[in-house]
Amino acid sequence: MIAFEHVSFAYEKGRPVLNDISFRIEDGEAVGLIGANGAGKSTIMKLLLGLLSGEGKITVDGDEVKKENLAKIRRKLGFVLQNSDNQMFMPTVYEDMIFAPLNYGMSREEADRRVDEVLDRLGLQELKHRHNHKISGGEKRMAAIATILAMDPAAVLMDEPSAALDPYNRRIVINTIRDLKQLKLITSHDLDMILDTCDRVILLSGGRIAADGQADVILHDRALLEANRMELPFRFAGEKQ
Amino acid sequence: MNKMEKALHELGEMDELAARSSPIHRLHPAAKLLSTIAYIIVVVSYHKYDLNGLIPHCLWPILLFQVSGIELRTCFYKLRIVLPLVMAVGLFNPLFDRAPLLYLGNVAVSGGVVSMLTLMLKGVLCLMASFLLMATTPIDALCAALRRLHVPAMLVTLLLLTYRYVGVMTEELAIMTDAYHLRAPGQKGIHVSAWGSFLGQLLLRSMDRAQELYSSMMLRGYHEHFHYADIPRFSLRDGLYLLGCLAFFLLLRLVPVAQLLGGLFVR
Ligand SMILES: Nc1ncnc2c1ncn2[C@@H]1O[C@H](COP(=O)(O)OP(=O)(O)OP(=O)(O)O)[C@@H](O)[C@H]1O
Ligand SMILES: [Mg+2]
Repeated sequence: MIAFEHVSFAYEKGRPVLNDISFRIEDGEAVGLIGANGAGKSTIMKLLLGLLSGEGKITVDGDEVKKENLAKIRRKLGFVLQNSDNQMFMPTVYEDMIFAPLNYGMSREEADRRVDEVLDRLGLQELKHRHNHKISGGEKRMAAIATILAMDPAAVLMDEPSAALDPYNRRIVINTIRDLKQLKLITSHDLDMILDTCDRVILLSGGRIAADGQADVILHDRALLEANRMELPFRFAGEKQ
Repeated sequence: MNKMEKALHELGEMDELAARSSPIHRLHPAAKLLSTIAYIIVVVSYHKYDLNGLIPHCLWPILLFQVSGIELRTCFYKLRIVLPLVMAVGLFNPLFDRAPLLYLGNVAVSGGVVSMLTLMLKGVLCLMASFLLMATTPIDALCAALRRLHVPAMLVTLLLLTYRYVGVMTEELAIMTDAYHLRAPGQKGIHVSAWGSFLGQLLLRSMDRAQELYSSMMLRGYHEHFHYADIPRFSLRDGLYLLGCLAFFLLLRLVPVAQLLGGLFVR
């Protein structure tokens, strides 16, 4: 369970990015975090992971996000960064994937099994021993998602998981996200993907929550979306309101 | 590919060379590390006029290149940027040290020329040995070996991260130079007026990325104790290799092999 209570944050004094944000996400929920460029989506993720700290209270399963709880909290959260180049730091995909399991005390055999299982699920066996600097942007994206799934986190946070993916891989990612039983918090500008993967949507705008509710309701609301610099998902775009 | 991307590519290729397999690759990283250090110490220990004594030491790296299946050409190609710098070190010796040291026929060779050649050879040999170590040992395995040798974890992590961050810096530089040239067509290099902001940006961007990479490590359970590659135990074979190397270096160091061999022919 994730809870934000009256959270505010600014990178620079006088330019608040988030202003008194509150929401709760229960275990097993799938939530899409949407908003225009610069709305503060990535910032919310980083606050939750304790990479930034602001005012207000953020808790994960009742533990407040602060220094002494960070190790425990981060163990539970798997985060796919917006920029995969910054996520992969080992020479090969395999080494990157096995990094977290080993850190969390898994034996090498167990970790190897876990890696193979995730690669099979994503259809990525071919990438296993490829070098991170020699795979394409989309392949790197898939590999980054694989490294996080290999951690088997209690909650999955994804910042733009479908960016840079071709339709085929995008579909694989959507199906994979759907199959995950964990709590999911996903940001994206790909509203069709949000519609396919999330039951609930939180719309950020001007540092505040402009809407929070059922995905198919909010994503169907042309006036609301357009007022916040967004458009209807493609599949609704042709419909009359 | 621009120059930077090429450099980056080559950096990545080192990882690939190191991932190959050969009798040398299979040796324990500590055995390779220690023999390389010993080799460098022995090579550096020669007197500046002792070119004769130094020459037989070419044998070891050349032999190892053969056995490890890595081409000497690859080594010199990858070191082409540093080699001239190393060579330049002794370049002025002939100007300062003009006293004739020996005669080839009736041409006098000054001490400066001999010491220049000795210095250059020392530099090249040390570079070859270090390259060989890096090209046959993955950086993780090397770090693991350092940890086994009780080098402090802090230092080892620093080494590993530096190795990785060099890649990050180069990548950023590549992206920036591309972006620059796309908007400054036909211009060679980067104009002096842009150097300041270019360097500043490079630093900021690399720092940002390094920071993100570091967060990404922390988020996946990293706490200054790296799980380096599993390295095998130090076996009898590794011990023999190390001892063999040390004995060989000492032999060359203590016995003037070149002179003995020369003696065979001259007499
Ligand atoms: N390191 C930083 N220093 C100062 N301001 C920043 C920094 N990072 C982000 N910002 C600002 O904070 C605001 C929110 O950024 P954030 O990255 O959270 O947006 P986002 O919703 O993820 O946008 P996008 O859809 O483009 O990814 C933006 O206005 C951005 O300019
Ligand atoms: Mg973002």
